[in-house]
Order: sequence, then structure tokens, then C-alpha cells
Amino acid sequence: MLELGRSLLHKPLFGLLLTLAVYQLALLLYERCGKRAFLHPVATSALVIALLLKYWGVPYAHYLQGNKLLELLLGPTTVALAIPLYKEFQHLRQLALPVTLTVIIGGLFATASALAIAWWVGASDQALLALAPKTITTPMAMGVAESLGALTTLTTGAVVFTGVIGVLLSPVVFYVLQLKDPRLQGVVLGLNAHGVGTARSFEMGASAGAFATLTMCLCGSFLSLTLPYLIPLVIH
Amino acid sequence: MLKGFICLLLFQLLGEAAVELTRSPVPGPVAGMLLLLVWLLISGGPSDDLSNTSHSLVQYLSLFFLPAGVGLFFLPEHISAQWPAIGAAMVAGTLLSMLFTGWLVKRLSGKRAASGEG
Repeated sequence: MLELGRSLLHKPLFGLLLTLAVYQLALLLYERCGKRAFLHPVATSALVIALLLKYWGVPYAHYLQGNKLLELLLGPTTVALAIPLYKEFQHLRQLALPVTLTVIIGGLFATASALAIAWWVGASDQALLALAPKTITTPMAMGVAESLGALTTLTTGAVVFTGVIGVLLSPVVFYVLQLKDPRLQGVVLGLNAHGVGTARSFEMGASAGAFATLTMCLCGSFLSLTLPYLIPLVIH
Repeated sequence: MLKGFICLLLFQLLGEAAVELTRSPVPGPVAGMLLLLVWLLISGGPSDDLSNTSHSLVQYLSLFFLPAGVGLFFLPEHISAQWPAIGAAMVAGTLLSMLFTGWLVKRLSGKRAASGEG
């Protein structure tokens, strides 16, 4: 019986089932508690899944095998973001200038502030390089990390961590700034917390989601095009 | 559902092709999204099927990031040694830049609204 359990744990099916079941429970909890940011399902279920995998002694690579399907769906879902963008196109156009300016100034500020703090606490050059694309959405960040010669595993970690942290901090930030316009909340989440922030914005409403999508794309494209030239000037 | 999904995959493929041809650093799916947006603006909007498929997928956007999120707890040894410093820097850096961008976008869009364009 124990043998059977062991062999099932290492099947790809198990990894996928684990992700879906834990996520579903986390989602119920999140909705039950009024969609509070600190209970965001990505944060809670990542923690629970990691603990379970460690407890059962299942290596991350085995877990990942069964979850190829979800990673594969990220592509068409990114393409699907064109539909909310299209539906909110008129609203987006009205705020085109402030959003573009915020992306250029805010995108550079987000990168510079994280690098400055990491340098100050004594992170190595290798870690700084991997951190630099943290405000770029995962698929774009991978490309930038490669062109900078950074460790892509650390970059993926930094990007997803930033996204989760951004969502967790967002209620505090919106409260301090008295930022109540869902469109502007979407801009802040899309810029600072890219994919995870965009997902959270869609949970808050269609308008916030569309603005987050737009900001994430603009910020990702702008930084992907500039960081490969700027970063080598700062980190040798 | 199926028709909509085929459409999304086709545009992703077009996006991948465009990126290959122009050697751009933009990832294929993002290029595909931009091409689909242009197509929707020309053709006058998505079909119901495409609209529904897109809605069901976008609803689960968080879920598709989850496997990568779990990876955070399984970083290689030499990286996890640096993790406390990096983590602290990222929490502080993200908080700082969220406050700054929030303040900036509020100010910039507020001015626009005040000048009668908002």
C-alpha cells in the first residue's frame, strides 16, 4: 500500500492534480474572505504546495513535469489579453499620455530602486544582474536575463516574487496614496507586479484588468528594449 | 470554445513568426497579442466564441503562474544563500516604487482631468 502511494506521488498526474486541488481550495478561501490581497491564491497555494512536496520528498522537477500543461497555457492566455484590451480601448486612449509617462519614469525607478537597495545590503554582481529585469513580465524577463548573462532561474524567482509581493502590498499602497480609481490601481499593479498583478486586477474588475494589461505590456517592452543597454553601464 | 482557442493559438504562432523574422526581444505571445489587437480593431471586434474563450482563460491567469511560484521554494543552494538579502531588497524596492508610481500616475492623470480632458 505504501509502495503504491510512493509511486503515485511521482507520477506527472499527481503534480497537476496537486496544483489544481490546492489552487481551488485557496481560491475558495480567497473568495470567502472578500478577496483580501494577503490571501491571494498564488501566494497561499505556492506555500502549501511547496510544504507538501518537501514533506513527501517529491523533487521540484517531478512536480514540474505534470504542470507543463499550465505553463503551455500561459502563451494563448497572453494572446487572449487582446480581447479585454480591445473592449477597454476607448478608456485606454483617454489616459494614454499619463500611462506612457508613468511607464517610462516608473519603470526605470522600479529597476533602479531595487538594484540600489540590493547593492546596499551587499548582493553579488551575479544577483544584481538577475534582479535587474524584476519589473518585466516573466517571458520577456527571461530574454533580458539571457542577454545580460544573468542566471535565469534566479530571474524567474525574482520576477514571480516581485509579482506576489506587489499584490500583497497593494492595499497598503492604495490606502496611503488614497488611490481609489480602479484604472490607476491597474496601472500600479501592471507596472510593479506584472502578470500576478494583472491577474489580481482582473479579479477587481474589467477596467482595472485592461489597464494592468496595457501597463504590463508597455513596461515590459520598454524595459526589454532599454535594460540590455543600460545595465552593462552600471554593473560590470 | 474550440474555435476561439484555435484562433488564439494561430495568433500566438503568427507572433512567434514575427519575432523570429524581426529578431525582436519581445516574446512571441506578446507579439501575438498585439497582432490580435490590431486585427480586432480592423475587423470590428471579437466573435462571441473568442470572447468567451478569452474570458475563461484570463480568469485563470494566476493559476498558470503557480508552478513557477512554487519554484521559489526550491532554488539552488548558492542562490538561496543570497536570498534573504535579495528578498529584503525586493520587498523594500517594490514598496518604494509602488508608492512612487502610484503618486506619479495620480498626479499626471489628475492634471489631465483638471484641464478638461479626463
